[in-house]
Amino acid sequence: MKPTTSSFFSTAWTIAWKDLQIEKHTRQIMSVMVMFSLVTVVMFNFALETNLDAARNVATGLLWATILLAGTLGLNRTMAVERENQAMDTLLMAPINRNAIYAGKVLSTTIFTLALELILVLLFIVFFNKPLWRPPVLLILFLGTIGYVAAGVLIASMSIQTRARDVLLPVLLLPLSLPLVLPAAMATAAYMFPQQPLFAEVQTPIMLIMLYDALMLTAGFTTYHYIVES
Amino acid sequence: MNSTKLDRRITILNWTAVATMIINLAVVFLYAPPEKLMGNVQRIFYFHVGAAWVGAVAFFVALVAGILYLRKPDRKYDTIALASVEIGLIFLSMATVAGSVWGKPAWNTWWLWSPRLTMITVAWLTYAAYFMLRGAIEDEEKRGRFAAVYVIVAFLTIILTFLSVRLMRDIHPVLVGGMADSAKGAEQGLQEFEDGLATKMIISLNISVINFSVLFTAWLFNRIRLQHLNESVTALKMRLSNR
Repeated sequence: MKPTTSSFFSTAWTIAWKDLQIEKHTRQIMSVMVMFSLVTVVMFNFALETNLDAARNVATGLLWATILLAGTLGLNRTMAVERENQAMDTLLMAPINRNAIYAGKVLSTTIFTLALELILVLLFIVFFNKPLWRPPVLLILFLGTIGYVAAGVLIASMSIQTRARDVLLPVLLLPLSLPLVLPAAMATAAYMFPQQPLFAEVQTPIMLIMLYDALMLTAGFTTYHYIVES
Repeated sequence: MNSTKLDRRITILNWTAVATMIINLAVVFLYAPPEKLMGNVQRIFYFHVGAAWVGAVAFFVALVAGILYLRKPDRKYDTIALASVEIGLIFLSMATVAGSVWGKPAWNTWWLWSPRLTMITVAWLTYAAYFMLRGAIEDEEKRGRFAAVYVIVAFLTIILTFLSVRLMRDIHPVLVGGMADSAKGAEQGLQEFEDGLATKMIISLNISVINFSVLFTAWLFNRIRLQHLNESVTALKMRLSNR
């Protein structure tokens, strides 16, 4: 069967929809990610208690760090779902494009991570009193998430098949996402002042985030079938 | 290539590496002039750049080997990638230590979060994780495949980090001046001399880079040979236990 474009997208969407349905019934991914983020934010608040101004200044960096750490939990969980009951093997037996599986996984994990970010943004507005609701900030969060998840699904698909399982993911993924955190935190921080920055000031970081997205998605689509073949 | 032929080549390479190292030491300590401001401590620069150069080359070799492995899963390419990443990581550590030792008199601090140093840190972490990944997979064919994918993504990360850290200069001009950037600093260091002395330094630097390239090639082949020996020992053990 020659896969067509429409079947590619509908397959990807079906896989993402399946993940969303599972999540609707079990709520295990969101609850773990949200609880973990809450604990992390509270912990940071305590750790920086002595200097509240410092906490406010590093808030954007903390936001990104929390997203990445909580993201590894979510990624591990979405991959573990496929491993349990050999669901992945069944998926691979189906006459569908391997890349559609990758796209579906990226889609569902992106949705979970974006939902988490929504909650985190509210939390950070309350705790750190920062104008995180600004549309450009939300756009940066959205763009950064795509790249992170694109790399994350690829790495998690590998790490879940190893002996170390979920322990390995942060060790592999966090260094790989450092070139994303740097421009993302920088661009987010630029919007934290009463006066909004000119687009020229944040143009380079945003371009870098988009470049990261493009490169990681390309890497994902070109190498994913090497990882899932058995 | 059969093993005796490989062994002979390795012997030749090893002796060439020793010879160029002796020449390099002589050039760095006798031919190269002392730096005007820093004095003799600047001589560490030749080893620092040489080691960093090998790091970059080794990771590039690993990338190429990774791509080749995915196109044609031959164990040879996996061995080359493994050997390259190992050597690259060691040379990167050497460059970092040498740079740190040089940084103390030059900047009066062992470490700065300057763009280049940040990039080195990311590269180090990324390639150190490569061994964690390999160590967690038992199946040889799968290990090769995953390691090849990882090495490609890792190289992408280094390129992206290289681009990202440029930002630190654009947005925080105070944090990163000309001084903090080691390469730029070196360039400025070289320019402070009259033409004759600067030329001597550049010649020394080139000799150093050539020497380190030979050293890398020698290490690479020795490491590949070691891997072959390792594999034959494993094969022999298997035969013994199957009896």
